[in-house]
Formats: sequence, structure tokens, C-alpha cells
Amino acid sequence: MPASLPLSLQLAWLIPLYGFSGLALALPWMAGLFPRNGQRPAAYINILVTLLAVLHGSLALRDVGLTGPHHISLPWFTVADLNLRIGLDLSPYTLAALALVTFMSLVAQVFALGYLDKEWSLARFFGLIGFFEGALSGLVLSSNLFLSYFLLEMLTLSTYLLVGFWYAQPLVVTAARDAFLTKRVGDVLLLMSVVALAAWSGSMEFTDLYSWAAEAKLSGSIGPLAGTLLGLGLIAGPMGKCAQFPMHLWLDEAMEGPNPASILRNSVVVTAGALVLMKLMPLLQLSLIANDVLLVVGTISALAGALVAMAQVDLKRAFSYSTTSYLGLVFVAIALQQPGIALLLLLCHGLAKALLFMSVGCVIATTNCQDLTELGGIGRRMPATMAAYLAAAAGLVGLLPIGCYWCYGQAVEAMSHSARPFAAVFLLTNLLTAVNLTRVFRSVFLGTPMPKTRRTPEVNWLMALPMVSLTVVVLLTPLLMQRIDPVPGIASFSLPVGLAVTASGLAGALLGGLIPLDRFRSRSIVDPLRGMQDLLAHDFYTERIYRATVVALVAAAARLTNWVDQRLVNGLVNGLGRLSLQSAENLRLSVSGQLQSYVFTVVLAIVVLLSCISWWTGTLEVLP
Amino acid sequence: MPVISADLTINGGMPPAEQLVQRLLSGHTLLADSPDHLLEVVGVLESYGEVLDAYSINLIYQAEHQFLNPFPIFKYFNGHITPEKIWAYLNHDRINFEYAEYCMKAMLWHGTGGLHTYLDSEAFAASCAAIIARQRRRAPLLALLHPLAPSFLPELIRSAATTHALGQFWRVMSDLFLDLAAAEREGRVRSIPGVVDFIRDGLVAAAAIPITYAVTIGGERLWVLPPEAGLTFLVDVAVPYVEAVFLRGTPFFGTVSFNAQARQISTDQGRFAYGALYADPLPTMGSGIPPSLLMQDMYRHLPAPLHQWYRQRARGEGDIRVKICQSFQKAMFCVTNAAINGTMPHPLASGEPQHRQANRAHAEAWAARLAIARTDCLGDAAPVLA
Amino acid sequence: MNLADLPLLSLLLAIPFAGALALMLQPVTAAPAQLRRGAIAVLAAQILASLLLLGPFDPANPALQLREAHSWLPGIGLDYRLGVDGLSLPLVLINGALTLVAVVCTREFSRRPRLYFALLLLISGAVNGAFLADNLLLFFLFYELELIPLWLLISIWGGAGRAYAATKFLIFTAISGMLILGAFLGLALLTGSVDFSLTPVTSERLAMGSQLVLLAALLVGFGIKMPLVPFHTWLPDAHTQASTPVSVLLAGVLLKLGTYGLLRFGMGLFPEAWSRLAPALALWAAVSVVFGSLAAIAQRDMKRMVAYSSVGHMGYVLLAAAAATPVALLGAEFQMVSHGLISALLFLLVGIVYRKTGTRDLEVLRGLLNPERGLPLTGSLMILAVMASAGLPGMAGFISEFLVFRGSIVAFPVATLLCMVGSGLTAVYFLLLVNRAFFGRLAITPVEDPLRHARLDIQLPAVAPRETLPAVGLSLGVVGLGLMPAGLGHLSEATSTAMAELPVLVASLIRGGVS
Repeated sequence: MPASLPLSLQLAWLIPLYGFSGLALALPWMAGLFPRNGQRPAAYINILVTLLAVLHGSLALRDVGLTGPHHISLPWFTVADLNLRIGLDLSPYTLAALALVTFMSLVAQVFALGYLDKEWSLARFFGLIGFFEGALSGLVLSSNLFLSYFLLEMLTLSTYLLVGFWYAQPLVVTAARDAFLTKRVGDVLLLMSVVALAAWSGSMEFTDLYSWAAEAKLSGSIGPLAGTLLGLGLIAGPMGKCAQFPMHLWLDEAMEGPNPASILRNSVVVTAGALVLMKLMPLLQLSLIANDVLLVVGTISALAGALVAMAQVDLKRAFSYSTTSYLGLVFVAIALQQPGIALLLLLCHGLAKALLFMSVGCVIATTNCQDLTELGGIGRRMPATMAAYLAAAAGLVGLLPIGCYWCYGQAVEAMSHSARPFAAVFLLTNLLTAVNLTRVFRSVFLGTPMPKTRRTPEVNWLMALPMVSLTVVVLLTPLLMQRIDPVPGIASFSLPVGLAVTASGLAGALLGGLIPLDRFRSRSIVDPLRGMQDLLAHDFYTERIYRATVVALVAAAARLTNWVDQRLVNGLVNGLGRLSLQSAENLRLSVSGQLQSYVFTVVLAIVVLLSCISWWTGTLEVLP
Repeated sequence: MPVISADLTINGGMPPAEQLVQRLLSGHTLLADSPDHLLEVVGVLESYGEVLDAYSINLIYQAEHQFLNPFPIFKYFNGHITPEKIWAYLNHDRINFEYAEYCMKAMLWHGTGGLHTYLDSEAFAASCAAIIARQRRRAPLLALLHPLAPSFLPELIRSAATTHALGQFWRVMSDLFLDLAAAEREGRVRSIPGVVDFIRDGLVAAAAIPITYAVTIGGERLWVLPPEAGLTFLVDVAVPYVEAVFLRGTPFFGTVSFNAQARQISTDQGRFAYGALYADPLPTMGSGIPPSLLMQDMYRHLPAPLHQWYRQRARGEGDIRVKICQSFQKAMFCVTNAAINGTMPHPLASGEPQHRQANRAHAEAWAARLAIARTDCLGDAAPVLA
Repeated sequence: MNLADLPLLSLLLAIPFAGALALMLQPVTAAPAQLRRGAIAVLAAQILASLLLLGPFDPANPALQLREAHSWLPGIGLDYRLGVDGLSLPLVLINGALTLVAVVCTREFSRRPRLYFALLLLISGAVNGAFLADNLLLFFLFYELELIPLWLLISIWGGAGRAYAATKFLIFTAISGMLILGAFLGLALLTGSVDFSLTPVTSERLAMGSQLVLLAALLVGFGIKMPLVPFHTWLPDAHTQASTPVSVLLAGVLLKLGTYGLLRFGMGLFPEAWSRLAPALALWAAVSVVFGSLAAIAQRDMKRMVAYSSVGHMGYVLLAAAAATPVALLGAEFQMVSHGLISALLFLLVGIVYRKTGTRDLEVLRGLLNPERGLPLTGSLMILAVMASAGLPGMAGFISEFLVFRGSIVAFPVATLLCMVGSGLTAVYFLLLVNRAFFGRLAITPVEDPLRHARLDIQLPAVAPRETLPAVGLSLGVVGLGLMPAGLGHLSEATSTAMAELPVLVASLIRGGVS
């Protein structure tokens, strides 16, 4: 590393450590070392270290702008032909992603101070958020596959612990378990590919892997089957992280966790997963079908996610499925080799979805309710929350010229020539999302107050301040995008495309404004409609399908193994034991009797064995 | 629906409603009389009195001096901002005023009783309009927001009014509980029935205290809850408080799923049973259990004899806040008992059949709600006898 | 006096043996706590001696070092020859550390404390002897020497079903011992040498058939000890009946004798036959891993579950040994060390739960994370331990498994992938454990009538800080090794690389001898 490098870049490896240090510093309070005092100092410390990370990250971003991108590589573990290093890429893109991560973490933590004001175990929550942030920061900066995998798994662990934060609540227990196991399936598949790549390619740096993959493709050293399996393993990890069909179930259940963690999970975690996928893209050329799988998975996730979201009666779940849907669009964009559009979409979606979840958090904190059929009429009494919702909705839907509108425009423009069906997928998703956002808006903010929404004062300043700040940021996204993507410019699409996007958004908003709303858990009485609603509301019964297939399979295999173990293996052993000791009585000999019989058995057996060996090999004459 | 998950519960440990009615009408206390119970109830109420004193002072300060302040950063400082206090605040070496606000929000949200009716009245709307008109001149941000969201400020004023009313209510209760502790020390109260009678007398004596609230804007004093509204201590604040905090409460994140599809939370707030009387002490200090804050506050103000008594039991200091919660729940049975007795329509000794019937109806209404309470995790065999 | 002049290896044997003798010579009236302090002092000296090894030990040298050789019974080829290399040094280190943990975590001294602590020290000394022996017969002697104290520890201080478990353990290990001795004697007889030294060249003179037979005897012998499916059934029974300290030793140290023997003797003495059998061994490893993990899912007893997880995790070592690449062998070493730490930690924590609640039944326990009335620190450490065992990064299990998989996938891709599936299943059963016993509301549900009599007002005894101290120490070790694996890698790299090159080396030697 040249000595002339600015200090902020020389010390860039510290940035992920800020978050991790937050967990370490929160430990004394988590362990209850200060019984007379509360745990808030741990929260303040975590906010402080996150602020440090934000500042350090911004400095680094500025310095990279001045001096150009850099790469940091530190040795971690080198043995034989294995060289595992900590590699960090310091480029404007990674540092912008880092800024997003640390800023969102900061905002979510301040929000959490307000949202969890009546929570006692604050040290654990903030410590876990610190851990979460550390892993995420490292992940967006990571320039090598090993480190990325390492941090992805840490993210899985921290998701498990954050979802399981309210560990005494029965549904949290299953939610945390499912979140961990679903992600773990993806992680193990990813590990298989990581291990294979580590063995085949030698270096784990992405750049080295790219050249290796290009060479391997040219020379044909990796067979098509191996290449395909490799590619499928590689995309399994991001699929799990980004909650794509069929590994999307955990995001729904993870909504049992605290809302501030949901803010991060639905914005930056899924974004980090997609960033990993983008880094893996050049490796997928070894696989024949990985790209097609991405397209199929992305399309299904985008449309099915949007449809399922529309049928949810739960405020948080209505938007968690929308996350699946948008990440599906990102997958499609990545698979169609449009990384620029994917990045912009991730940025806009991340900001808007975080704001949406903040607004949702405010509604839940005020009404103690997240059932859409029991909410209503709070708009005029909670203007900041409503404004945040509207800004977030505008940022998500391609209708007003904020946020995702420009992404939709670029995507549809790019696909309108070569991949028309996918342009339709984008427009349809936009429409469905608009329907969903409009119907939820009507349910929550418009109409007459319901019993649970009769008294709804606006939230406290600790929630309002980050929410309003983020509202401003979301409204300013076009400027932000313009700065990140000056060439070709965010508005580089034709007028018809722009009109098509607006039309799809407008149609959705109108539809959403017209569909009837359920009240007090009422249901449609038209049978087909009801069945359709059930199918979507229960997420195509995915959970039941899993229960009947994967879970049942593992459970049956476990029972079978146990039976074999107990009846066959152990039964055989016990039978042999009885036989060799003549009677079961011998099993209960006294201590000294056992010892004698032991010595006798050993001596006898050795003699027998030796004779056998000698006889069998026919070398008795070797004996002296 | 009790807080403990259904697969663990069959019987909460309470006698059937009919037997509770008999107990109430015969003048017996709900909580069994024993020296241990006396020590626990009086001791925990003393520390509760200390905590309520701090809560009450702060709620009244917030309602009067942080009125419509968009950034009430120092709202827990009661106006005394010193470096030591800031350090104590940062070190979380303080009363958890968040719990007082939590009770206020529960009261506001459930919205029962006379205070609630007044907050929806024309008279209140008129005072709001007057206050907002003056406030708009002083705060440009609010001036900008108000036309866009005309219900925004009145709702915050309702919140402030509830805050002040709760502060006044707790002022009375704090004094009453501290008096009770003094009376017990002086030997004037020697049993659980004595405790119940003492509290009942205190409540009855305070019943007619007027509840009023005014704010000062630019040197001008404006009524929010004027004396003409005729709001009084017992019916307009105490009874809604008992309804909202003792009985209904709000679901805890730590024990109940908010998932709409899981349908664990009733659509009818009247059927909520998350209040203090139905509490499950064991998860205290776990995550997602708001009363942990109160238990911590009471822990910091425990009278020495009770503290000593706790130290000798179970894990001593290690599970002291669970034991405080158990004692607190017993104390709340005594307070509820006193409230039931105090609001009994006619004297229990009355021989008139009509009186007896009215009393019986009153007792039955309460017994129905008390019978589903959980007392099988309160540390002793049967705190509420049949 | 120069450090290198000290007979450090002999000290590592002498200290625990002398300590055991000294404890036995204490008066019967000696206070148990005093005996415990004595045992701790002895172990501290032993650990110090093993740490002193790090000074003169040359990590770059793959061969046995600091050798000591004395003639003992030359007539039968039994010499007192000791040596240490990168394979045995880390195991000697964790042997001392885990025996200390076992002594420190001993809480019940009711019966025969002198004998109890003396036996623990005896095991530690014998295990050191087995790891350091540079003579087949000497190894066997120590291998057998460690069995008797362990058997006594199970059958005297065990649970209600200890007689059955101890007898089963005895029979299995007797068979294991005789197979190993048979193989050693067979090797000597067939090659006509009474040297019994650790040199692979002698076996190369044998016909492949004879080599395979002898190797098979060793495989089954050490396979019982590791244990590998289907020779594992003694392990869950032994663990469930053994007390916590014994389980810590059994899982943490004694199983490593099996893997150590497999690497040192199976692979070291018969490199050619080993590579011939390797594909079958890899398959065996995969079966063992998947079988152990699936069987663990079906368990209700926490201790049985952890025991079955050992079956699964030791399978990785066999996989690595079968692949026999430098990285895989280093992974095997890592796996031995990290499994030693993690399984010891798991058994410690299960032991605390059992001592406080009186049960290990996953259908009975709930909500132990409760902060005031439950076992919150135990629960938090349990989450850490199970995550480490499931191979989450940042902890010792991950880097071990990564090295094993990375080293083996080139040689045996299918078996390696199957083992990775087993690693995924580890997460399943351990998550079930944590979720059932530690999450939810604190309650104890009696098995006979789960609904009506669930105990809700739980009064569990508090866990004193000194009870969790060993677990905290082991957790730090697990995280430390996971974040900074370079130290251990440095110690063992040369030896692993040399072992991986053994078949080539032997082949060239043989060819050289012929020409």
C-alpha cells in the first residue's frame, strides 16, 4: 500500500469493525453487569460507532473520488496451496453502497430508540444491529469470494438472532428457525460452489476468478455438468438472501421480528445479497442454465411476489412480499446483463422500502395493530407518517418522476428491443405494486377511524426525525441518481417508454383505488374470489408444501435412521453382546468381575486374532 | 386472552367467578391475609408510591412545559438540566419515564370513561382551536402543518391532556401509597383487609377531586380541561385507568404475535386481557415486556425490609424483579379490591333487596373479569382463596 | 539450564502420573475441594510443560522432534521412545486444557474424590503418552491404559444405566484394542521386524493383501474409538450415563485418539494400502456424517443429540484423511482441535442445564433464556456453541470444515458434497435444540401429562459465575481459533504436507531400494 494513500483509505479495513465493536461494547450491558442502571448506554454507544462508520465512509468516498479506486488486501490464513485473504475494494460504487448501509443503519438505530422506547433488552438489540451492520459493511466492500461467504453467513446468524429477539413469543421461535434454515440451505449450496472454486481456481479474489472463469470457458477444463452445478450453487446463496421464490418464505416470517430490523432487512440486506450476485455474474458464464434460472426465478418472484403482496391483510407482510417482487426485478436486470439498472433499482428500492417500513412502524407503534382490516382514517392525524408513506410509494412505483420511475424507464427501454417479455414483466410488476400500495394507503390512512385508530397522535420525535429525513432523501433520489449515473443519464429513455411506465403505474393506482376493502376480517363471499384470495394470502401454500415435502422428508429420514440405529445396529450389538457373554446376566457383573473378564477377553481375542492373521496369510513360518 | 400461551394453560389458579362474588359480597379480601402478603403488598406499594411520585411530576411537567414541543429532547429532566443529570441520563441511571408514557398511551388508545367523552366534545374542540390559533403564531412549522392536517394538533393536545390527567391521578395514588406505608409502620394497618380498607378510604376521599389542565402560551393561560367540564378523580380518570392499564392493557411484542393472519389479538379492545391483573411475572426483564421498566424502577426504590425478604428467597438478588412483579400483582389485587369496594353502589351491610341486587350485579361484573386472571405463578400456593 | 535440555515429553507424562499418585496417597479424610485444587495445580504444571514445547519445537520440521529414546524391553520390541510433531502437539495442548476444564467443572464430590481426580489425571497422562509415543507397543500400552480409568469413571460416577453403558464401552474398546494390537503384532510378524518403530517403509515389503488386512484391522479398531457408523453405538450410551466432566474428556480428548491413530498408524504405516482404500473410506465418511446427523435430529435427550453430532463431526476427519491432500490433512487437525473445544463446550452447557433442571429432555424444557429465572448466560453460550458446531464463520468449526472440504473436494467430490449436506443438517438439529429448550416462555412440561400440569412458576437454582467460567473460557477459544487460525495452521502445516506426500515418498523409496 503506498504511503501517500489518504489515511481514510489506509484505515478502510476499520469500517466493518465499527459495527462489530458495537456488539463487543454492548456486551457488558447484555450480561447485566450494571443491575441498577438500564441498558441505554449500549444503544448510545452503538449509534456513536455507527456515526463513526458513516463519517469514515464519507471521508473515504471523498478521497476515492480524489485519488481513484484502491484495493486493500491483508493476509488472513495461508497454508499449503490455500491463501485466504481479506480483500476490500474501495471504489466509488462500493463506497456508495457502504454509505447506504451505514446511513440506513444509523437512521434505523435512531428510529429504534423511539420504536423500542418501552423495551428493556436494548443492549442485545443494538449490539445485534451493530453486528449486522459490521457484516453488511464488510460484504459490500469485500473483493473476494471467501470473505463474502464468511460475511454472508454472519449475516444469516445475525438475522436469526434479530428475528429471534423476542424469543419468548411462540411465532418468533418458528420464524427465527425458518429464517435461519432457509438461508442456511442457500448458504450450504453456495459453500459447495465456493469450496469447488477455491480448489479449482486457487485464488478467491473476484478479479482472479473472472480471468480463471474466462480461461476455463475457453479451454473447456470445467465440464458442462460441473459448470452448471457450480453456477446453480453460486446463485442459491443470493436467492436465499434476496428472498426469491422458492426461498422467500423466511422474509414473511421474519416480520415477527422488531420493525427497525425489518427496515434494514427489507432494504440493505436484500441489496447486499443482490450485490453479491452481481459480483458472481461473470462466473455464471461457465454454466449453461444459471442465467436462465435467474430469469425464471426473477420473473416468478416479481409477479408472484406482487400478487401475494396484494392479498395480505398484514401491514408488514404486504410490503415484505413486495421486497421479494422488486428483488425479482433486480434478478431479471442482472440476468439480462444490465448491472447499471440493477444498481439504480437497488438504491431506489432500498431507500423507498426503508421509508415505507418506517411509516409502517409508526402506524404499528401508535395503533398496536397491523391488521389492515382494522386500520383506517389516521392520515390527517399523523401527517408525517402519511407523508412518508406517500413519498415511499412514489419512490417505489413508476408513476411520479421520483426514484424507481427512472429505473423502470431505463429497464423497459433496454428490454424493449431484445427482451420484450421482460419489459412486460417490469410494467406488470409496476402495476401490481401500485395496486397494492394504493389499497393499503386507503385501508390505513383514508376512511373513517376504526376502534383501534380512534386515538392516534403522531409518533415521538425519535421516530419522526429519521422518518422525515429519509422522506426528504427519497424525494431527492433523482438528484442522487443523476450524480451516480451521469452517463448516459437517468432519463435516457424514449417518451413512449416513459408514458408506458406512467400508464402502468396510473392504471395500478386507479385499480387500487377502486377495489373493495375488507373490514374487520370480513371476506369476499364469492367462492372463486375467495379461493384465489386464500391461495395468495397463504403465499400459494408454500409453507404447507415445504412441510409436506422437505420437512417431511428430513423428518422421515431422521426417524428411519434412528430406527436403523436403535433396532438394527444397536440391536445387533446387544445380541452379539449377549451371545458372546453367554447370558445377559454377565452384563451386570460386578466391577472387579468385569475387569477380569475384560482382561481375559482381550488376551483370548488377541491370540485368536493373531492365529487367524497368521493362518490366513500363510506365513506361520515367519514365527521364530 | 391471557398472556401465557394457550398450550400451557388450563386453569389460571383463580377460584370460579361465583366464589369470587361471594368473597366480594361477604367483605372478604381477594388476596389471602398473611404476614408475608402484608409485607409484600405494603412494601411494594411504598416503592410504587416513590416511582409514581417521579412519574407524576414528570407527566405534569411534560404536559405543561413540553406542550407541543416537536423536539422534547430534555423532557425527562423536569427543567433541571445539569451536567450531572445529563451524565446520569446517558448512563441510564434514572427512572424509566417511558413506562409512564406507555401507560398514558394505553389510556388514550383505549379511550373509555368521562375524560374520553370530553375529549370528543365541542367544548374541547373550541379550546383546541383557541390554543392552536395562539400556538401558530409562535411556531411556524406547526402553522404550516395545521392547514394540511387539521386533526394533527388536536390529537396531540388530547395526548397532552391525558398525560396531565394521569399525572394528577398518580399524584393522589403516590401520596396514598406512601401514607399507607407510614400507617403500617405506625401500626395503624396490620392486615390485608386493613390495607384494602385504607386504600378504599383514600379513593373515596379523593373521588371528587376535580381534574383540570391549563397550558401557558406566551404568558397567556388557556384551559384544556377546564373546571366547567366537571371531570373528577374517580369516575373520569381512575376508572378508565383501571380499565386501560389493569384490565385491558396492550399486547406485548415479547409474548403475542401481531401477525394479522395469526389472529392472536382480538378485534375488540374490550376483550383485551393484557393488563396488570393478568400479568405473567416470569418473563419480566425479558425482551418485549414493557412492565420490566416499572419493575426496574421499583427495584431501585425498594424499602429495606422487603428487599431483605426478597434476598432470602429463590435466587435472592438474581430474580428480584420477578419477585417484585409477583408482589406487585398481589398489591394490584388489593388496589382493585379497594376500587371495587369503593364503587360498590350500596353498603354491603344494607338489607334492602334492591341494594343487595345492585351490589351483586357490581360484584358479578368484576368477578367475571377477575376469574380469568392468572395467579398460579405468583410464588405461593393460592394467593386468592376460594 | 537450557529449555531444550529438559526432557519435556517425559515431563508431560511424569507430571500427571505423579500427580495421580500423589492424590491417591492423600489421607482418606482429605477435603474434596483441596484435592481438586491439587489436581488443578498438577494440570497447570502439565499445561505449562506443554506450552514450553512451543519454544524448542520447530514448526518447519515435519518429523518427530524433541525425541527421547530409552531401551525398555528390547526383547519384545517395546522401547520408551517419545517424539512430537505438528500432528500431536496441538492435541497435547488441548488434552491439558480440556482435562483442566473437566476438573474445574466437577461439582459433585460425593463419592471417592481421591480416586476420581487421580483417574482424571491418569487419563490425561495416558492420552499424552499415546499422542507422544514413538513406538507402536508403547502407543498401545497408553491406549489401553486410558481405557480402564475411563471405564471406572463411567461405572462408578455414572448415571442410573451406567452398568450397561460401561460394559458396552468396555466390550467395544476391548475389541478396538485387540484389533489394533493384532495389527501391530501382525505387522511385526509379517515383516519379521521387532522394531515397532513408526516407519512406513517396513509395510511396503508386504504384499498388498496383507497390508489391506492389517489396515482393515486398524480401521475398525480406530473406527470404534472415533467412532464411525456402525461402530458408534457405545458412544451415545456412554455419554448419557457419564457425568459432565467425563463427557467433556470423552468427546473432547479421547475420541481424538481414534482419529489420531487413524492418521498416524492407518495412514502413516500403510500409505499405499490407504490410498487404495481411500474412495471407500470417503464414502464411509459421508455415510457416517449423514447417518450421525440424521440420527441426531431424532433425539430428545440433549446429551444424546450432542453425542450423535460427534459421530457426524468425526466423519469429516475420515473424509480428510481419505483425501490426504495437505489442506485436507490440516483440516483434519483443525477439526480434531475444534471438535475438541466445541463438543467439550456443548457437554459443559448441557451439563449445566441438567444440573439445574434435572432433565435433558427437549420435550420438557422450554424458555431457558429467561433472564431472571432461567439460564440466560448458559443459553447464550449454547447458541454460540451450536452455531460453532454448525460451521458458522468466525468460530472454530467453520475454518476446520472449510479446510476439510476444500482439501477433499478435488479427490472425492461426491463424498465431500454429502458431508456438506451433513453440515447443513447439523444446523437443523441444533436449531431444534436451541429453539425448544431455550426459546419460548420458561416452563417445564412433565412428559406424562403435558397439558394440565405444566409448571409455570419455575424455581431453578441460579448458575454461579464460577460454574460458567470454563464454558466462557472454551467459548473464547472457539471464537479465537475461528478468527485467528493462523497459529494452529503454522504449527501443523509442515507435518500435514509431509504426510500428504507420504505415498509418493514411500513409492520412491521402494523404487530406490529396488534399483
